[in-house]
Amino acid sequence: MSRRSFLKSSALAGGGLMISFTWLSAFTPAGREEEPVPTGKWVEINGYVKITPDNVITILNPNPEFGQNVMTSLPMIIAEELDADWQKIVVEMGPHDSVKLGPQFTGGSNSVRMYWKPLREAGAAARQMLRDAAAQAWGVPVEEVTTKAGMLYHGKSRKSGTYGSFAAKAAGLPIPKGVKLKEAKDFTVVSRSKKNVEGLKIVSGKPLFGLDYQQPGMLIAMVEHPPAFGLKLKSFDAAEALRMPGITDIFRQKLYEEGFEQGGFDTRTFNELLVVVGKTTWQVMQARKKLNVQWEPAGDIKDIIGGWGQKREVVVPGELESTDAQLQKMKEYAAKPAEQLRKDGDPETVFKNAAQVIERTYNAPFLAHNCMEPINFFAHVTEEKALLVGPLQAPGWTEPTLAKVLNLPADKIEIQMTRMGGGFGRRAYGHYLTEAALISKKVKAPVKLVYTREDDMTYGIYRPLYTATYRAALDANKNLIAFHVKGGGIPEHPIHANRFPAGAVDNYLAEGWEIPSNVTIGAFRAPRSNFNAAAEQSFLDELAEAMGKDPIEFRLELLKRAKENPVGKNNEYDADRYAEVLKLVRDKSGWNQAANQKYSRGVAAYFCHNSYAAHVVDMVMRDGQPYVERVFSAIDCGIVINPDAAANMVQGAVIDGIGNAFYGGLTLKNGAVEQRNFYNYRLIRMHEAPKKIDVHFVQNNIDPTGLGEPPFPPVFGAVANALYKAAGKRFYQQPFGPQLTNTTAL
Amino acid sequence: MLNLTINKKAYHVDVDPDTPLLWVLRDTLGLVGTKYGCGVAQCGACTVHLNGEAVRSCVTKVSRAVGQKVVTIEGLAEKADHPVQKAWLELDVAQCGYCQSGQIMSAAVLLRENKNPTDADIDAAMAGNICRCGTYLRVREAIRLAATSQRKAGNG
Amino acid sequence: MKPHPAPNPRTSSLLKIGAALSFIIFITTAVTTVSSGERARTGGRETPLRTGSPRPARTAQDRAESVEAFGKVYKVLMSPRCLNCHPAGNVPLQGDDSHLHTMLPQRGVDGKGVFAMKCGNCHQATNTPGRHTPPGNPEWHLPPANMKMVFQGRTPNQLAKQLVDPKQNGRKSMKELLEHADDTLVLAGWHPGEGRTLPPMSHAEFKKAWTTWLEKGAVAPAP
Repeated sequence: MSRRSFLKSSALAGGGLMISFTWLSAFTPAGREEEPVPTGKWVEINGYVKITPDNVITILNPNPEFGQNVMTSLPMIIAEELDADWQKIVVEMGPHDSVKLGPQFTGGSNSVRMYWKPLREAGAAARQMLRDAAAQAWGVPVEEVTTKAGMLYHGKSRKSGTYGSFAAKAAGLPIPKGVKLKEAKDFTVVSRSKKNVEGLKIVSGKPLFGLDYQQPGMLIAMVEHPPAFGLKLKSFDAAEALRMPGITDIFRQKLYEEGFEQGGFDTRTFNELLVVVGKTTWQVMQARKKLNVQWEPAGDIKDIIGGWGQKREVVVPGELESTDAQLQKMKEYAAKPAEQLRKDGDPETVFKNAAQVIERTYNAPFLAHNCMEPINFFAHVTEEKALLVGPLQAPGWTEPTLAKVLNLPADKIEIQMTRMGGGFGRRAYGHYLTEAALISKKVKAPVKLVYTREDDMTYGIYRPLYTATYRAALDANKNLIAFHVKGGGIPEHPIHANRFPAGAVDNYLAEGWEIPSNVTIGAFRAPRSNFNAAAEQSFLDELAEAMGKDPIEFRLELLKRAKENPVGKNNEYDADRYAEVLKLVRDKSGWNQAANQKYSRGVAAYFCHNSYAAHVVDMVMRDGQPYVERVFSAIDCGIVINPDAAANMVQGAVIDGIGNAFYGGLTLKNGAVEQRNFYNYRLIRMHEAPKKIDVHFVQNNIDPTGLGEPPFPPVFGAVANALYKAAGKRFYQQPFGPQLTNTTAL
Repeated sequence: MLNLTINKKAYHVDVDPDTPLLWVLRDTLGLVGTKYGCGVAQCGACTVHLNGEAVRSCVTKVSRAVGQKVVTIEGLAEKADHPVQKAWLELDVAQCGYCQSGQIMSAAVLLRENKNPTDADIDAAMAGNICRCGTYLRVREAIRLAATSQRKAGNG
Repeated sequence: MKPHPAPNPRTSSLLKIGAALSFIIFITTAVTTVSSGERARTGGRETPLRTGSPRPARTAQDRAESVEAFGKVYKVLMSPRCLNCHPAGNVPLQGDDSHLHTMLPQRGVDGKGVFAMKCGNCHQATNTPGRHTPPGNPEWHLPPANMKMVFQGRTPNQLAKQLVDPKQNGRKSMKELLEHADDTLVLAGWHPGEGRTLPPMSHAEFKKAWTTWLEKGAVAPAP
């Protein structure tokens, strides 16, 4: 694809140089996963490298950091091509500036994938300019000027100089075009493990997170939201609360005006909130207990949803929903005709004539993100401008909303991104910036909006409630001849119709159905995949057993078919890479070794966010409970930028998967979320985490793809399959834990 | 006025004595290394040392700390070089990092009382600290590493 | 109900003395346990307990009243407010469903937890306001390791015997046993913090039943 680049340079105070690169480059549009880049959809971007005369090289990280290591790994990419000395690099979080720094979106496992080429070009162009500057100064051919670790050299004349000493000269040079990038074999920074650049700040408790942000005169705001989906604020009496110490203001606050067109990330749970403002967090918490509030049924609400080139009116039903009734309703919908998402061959006839049909239904609950840092944001809004500081995955999606809501031009809105105490998709939805901004505007003061853990959990944007029924037809020789998946959800179905085993079975049908709901849902680490990989991978395991085949060999057979003679056209995955992670995990886990058969072993593999992941989970019984003692993981995400940090993230994804498979789940009763804090929303703890998680990356030179999400979904399937071995029966409902719980003495 | 000693420094604060220590640290004194995670002693993010014990500051009234010795993550070691902090850096434990000050404060108590903790000891000490990113393996490894370096340094 | 801990020496030298003492106690009480066991096999359906300090029931009526009173005592002791801190294992229980305490605090030697997970790290001197917050008491702890006083899983017969067995109750005298009804942690069961179910009768009723049971001979109901 074509690419044009521009260079801008400017002098820094003190005689240094700031080289900023602006170029037009192809980017995967943020927020849409795994779709090929549409040609002609260009996003303007540039990257910053700052060099001072004393050779301090500062690299700006463009993308929000929520624990995926971009604050380290993205600057590593620039440093690689720049040939800078990583030990001396200073990394700073970049400002929100989509013109200079690109999409700035953390989500969809896209950070490294979308910044890989642009950041390499940024580094390479800077290096080229510095070489040009040195060549001119030394009067030598530029081809003879080499670089290493922030230094320029001319071997023949034995001349050398720092980048800093040529930075000012480099600033005045013409724009380099088509700079050659390094080959993978020449990397010295990328693919070498580098420590987290914020590690010391983290372990010493420095203010890094949004909740840590303070300003003189700053007030604390909290919001009281309807206690149930389907309710709205009727009236309140704040007299007593207003008399509480430190309380400065209590008022109702609307978010979006009538007719507001919501973008894709403008999801908000309730449109009107009761706001309590005071001097300290504790004072506001106390005042909230003294509020006398009446709520009333909200009835059906019409939302106008825009974004992604669509505009439609959506009726949000006003019912006070309960999970029991939701599950019942899902059973009814599952029996009705659904939308056909993909069909190959003639599955109906084949199923009718099959020797054997295996059918299983899987369910998984709403999940809350439960980021350790509860939702919060700082806002200071005046008539002229707005400053917002805090944890956010998608500033570029929230800024236009703020501009509309505050009636300010976008260039008067400054969003500063802090390190996030987790994200998992939750902080892609910036409604809480709108809340903070409107509150600040109203009270005419800098305000930090803080959610309590209970607010965070009960006022969420959850993973949908999912179900899927899988059917397989076998012939008399136990060959798989047809495959059918019909999935549904509240309010979205989970089906990826073009994923494996689509392409590997002659007769294939995928269908989906959805039930509208007022429960707000959104992206949760590997949306949809996090359910599919549990259900489908359990089902394939059961099929393999019914066919008398080894579960890994069975999957490899299907992948071989998909590779050699694929069914259909739109298969999303690369069968070779898929098979490769399975083979790698088979070998690394000693899948066939007798010594390992003492474990209840489960395997699963999945493709999502352009990467491939497979796990073998080794389960034992401990104190009468199934316990995952060790895990082997094989991942293909192309080039791995920062291997140790990448392994950490995979280990974390495995633990997150085990935790959610066993314990995760959110339920509703009459519209109210039943879980309020960690006492009844159980998160995995130290003693429940495996003793060992071996992570193996497929070594290749493919451009890097996602890693934050891909290792997560197949954990559910591998756990389910190991649990079958350990417990002697299959479990079809997540979370598995409550079906196993006893109070066995420890 | 309440008199507090935090990280060897004296503070005089004018707050409701029922205010949790957490919010006095964070809102009143600006010591924000101690984190709010749940507010009900479920997650351990707010762990500080009160007379050496790994107290959950979110449920500890500031009145309990009056005249006592409080140490927060900011004061665990003057140069942030406590064996636990060093081990955390060596193994690059953190992902998002939010829970880690609480994890470190808990681990420091474990290692003071047990110079060579077993896996079971680590479980017993650390099960009160939730890490949503799932860094438990590295927390475990870092505690082992810190124990080793502590013993080598002759502190054990 | 939280029984008093056995004397819990703070220093290592005292610990050794304590260990030696409990060894002696073990020797002396082992004999009586055997004899009461024999009586249980040879006697009637109810077993007058001769172990510990309470005097044996004098009359059949005493015996009946003692057993009846223990029925009430047992209901209280097996309610979550008492049972949760008298687990069969070394981890306390939580909630009205008596599930394992979520973050697995361990008993430790003194019953006060271990390392970074000492009871007092979360449980304050008073109940923390709000639902599902740590209940509080200045003495909050489990029975110590050398006197676990397990309630979980015990039958009325087993529990009655255990409560007055000096080997298992920290060698309490009759006076100490009677006073134990007003122990600060026993009383805490009736001030459990917001949202927690109270024991099935008032503290006064419990104390009356406890006293009656002990004074009428501390008879264990039939197994």
